[in-house]
Amino acid sequence: MSIFWISIGMGLAVAAILALSAVAFTLEYAVSRVVNLAHGEVLTIGAYAAYVGETNFHLNLYMCAVVATIAGSLAGMGLNFFLIEQFRNQKALSTLIATLGASLILQNLLLIGFGGASVSYSFAQGNLLHVGPFLWTVLTIKVMISTLIVAAIIYVMIQRTRIGKALRAVSQNRDLARVSGIPARQVVMHTWALAGAVSGFAGFLYGETVGTITPSIGNGFLLLSITAAVGGGLGRPYATLGGALVLGLVMSIAGTYTSSAYQLVIAFGFLVVMLLIKPNGIFVRGKAQMVRA
Amino acid sequence: MLQYWTAILSEAAIFGILALGIDMIWGWAGDFDLSAYAYFALGVYMTMVLTIGKPTSPVEYILGYHLPYLLAVGIAVVIVVAFASIIGAIALRSLREVYFSITTLGAVWAIYYLVENYTPLFNGYNGVYGLFDPMGGGLSYAAYHYFFFAFCLLALFLVYLVVQRLSRSPFGRMVRAVRDDERAASVYGRNVFWAKYRTYLFGAGLAGFAGGLFAAYIGAFNPLDWKPTEIFVLYAAILVGGRGNPRGVILGSFIVYVGFVEMTRYIPSPASRPELGPALRQILIGLLIILMLKFRPSGIFPERLGTDGTEPKRSLRTLFRRRPSGEESSEGLATADATGGAQA
Repeated sequence: MSIFWISIGMGLAVAAILALSAVAFTLEYAVSRVVNLAHGEVLTIGAYAAYVGETNFHLNLYMCAVVATIAGSLAGMGLNFFLIEQFRNQKALSTLIATLGASLILQNLLLIGFGGASVSYSFAQGNLLHVGPFLWTVLTIKVMISTLIVAAIIYVMIQRTRIGKALRAVSQNRDLARVSGIPARQVVMHTWALAGAVSGFAGFLYGETVGTITPSIGNGFLLLSITAAVGGGLGRPYATLGGALVLGLVMSIAGTYTSSAYQLVIAFGFLVVMLLIKPNGIFVRGKAQMVRA
Repeated sequence: MLQYWTAILSEAAIFGILALGIDMIWGWAGDFDLSAYAYFALGVYMTMVLTIGKPTSPVEYILGYHLPYLLAVGIAVVIVVAFASIIGAIALRSLREVYFSITTLGAVWAIYYLVENYTPLFNGYNGVYGLFDPMGGGLSYAAYHYFFFAFCLLALFLVYLVVQRLSRSPFGRMVRAVRDDERAASVYGRNVFWAKYRTYLFGAGLAGFAGGLFAAYIGAFNPLDWKPTEIFVLYAAILVGGRGNPRGVILGSFIVYVGFVEMTRYIPSPASRPELGPALRQILIGLLIILMLKFRPSGIFPERLGTDGTEPKRSLRTLFRRRPSGEESSEGLATADATGGAQA
């Protein structure tokens, strides 16, 4: 069994979590046209909520996941209500700077609330299992299955439900959607709730697989989510999923040969190459002359 | 007490220079650049390794010369600009606004993690240290203190003169016109990329220069104490002062910087919770950024357009006029000249 396949296996697990986070990020962009720099903090809030649930209320694995999801969802709605909607009529760049401020506030509130030391969950990792060429723990397999389920739920919601149809309409043209009788503000709020829930859940999965949570884990996750979303196609959920898988594999293959400390450096290299070759995303057809948003 | 205040004000003057650099890129050219921290830090590191001599065993870093301080700062600025020319070329070539910002955000964190983890470069997370009184000569501690304060103020004043001059020059107006409407500017024959790129390099150079001064001020620099979030206070300062107005930016950095240092000094930070004070400070900075953007995005001293003294906010046609009157422009800007002549 080679190291290569084992690290690819870990890469798949990380890519699965990354995919959820990036899809949430891209959904936020799709409906509000905002690059949410406070996205990483929503993940962190989910991770800490599950931590509080486990240590203070002794909840089991599944209840912790529910707690993280609810906390993330509330955080997403709060961000939308108190920040994004307030900046709705301003330029995308102003909103980006405002979310930078929000990220600073949330990260430091977490620091005050939980201190700077890293914490971790104490769920059993389960036995090591050989699946094909890969080596996974039972917990890792549960994580990957749950991301598949969540991705399927997102797909069904976007493609098959009325909310999803409204979401797609609002993401294409908010004013036109309102003229057609779609309550745009409500749809945007629902989307943020969904994106927040997915982020919170992803934060919980991250804490479960990687093991340590600090108030600043959001920074790294934000960058990876941005890279996956922009690499795949910002504002397009399926393209983003593809981007996240590619990024996860690139990072795990490169991580086999270098230190994992350089993960973000590699991710940035990937982002630069993507932006130079195909600025509007690998999985988006057509060629963009100039990318602006 | 006097020494305390001169120390605070020296730091504010250095950050004023950095803020002017950031403001050129953000305020004039409209590109919200998050990698300014990287240029500042590179300026600090390069100045350090060029002046403090060879590293001794557990410590390692590149170069390690004993150059005179001012020469080292000069070389540091050149290196910073060379480095910025790579990042700028990537980020400005075909990316704008939000895409530009996230590229520079990615760049700054990638560089941050590289410097923190790759020790042969700048000694990893322990950082470099050992630059004391680089211009001291025979001065006593107190005298050097005041000398350095005067030196920082002088540097800020000179930088202000250059920046203010540039701001009012045809170049400054052209960059702003490009910011307001790229398509119109390129129709009038301006090279959009080149205008933005030059502004970017100049701003990065100022950030590197501020870094060079800061190296002498602080004497030691490491990635753990100086995270990229540390300079967000300057984004708040620029917003308070007024984007695109050099005077406003300097006043803003003094008001916000001195204000924050003084205000947060009295926040109780119990020994068991050392992170409380700095965390509250960061929260206040975040709130300040959001509230300024929401309620007064142009700042206390808004940008002043229309440098001829007639009718501010006259937009493109006035701005593209080359000369106030008379002299024919050979570049065939017929429309611009016609309207220009009519107004003059």
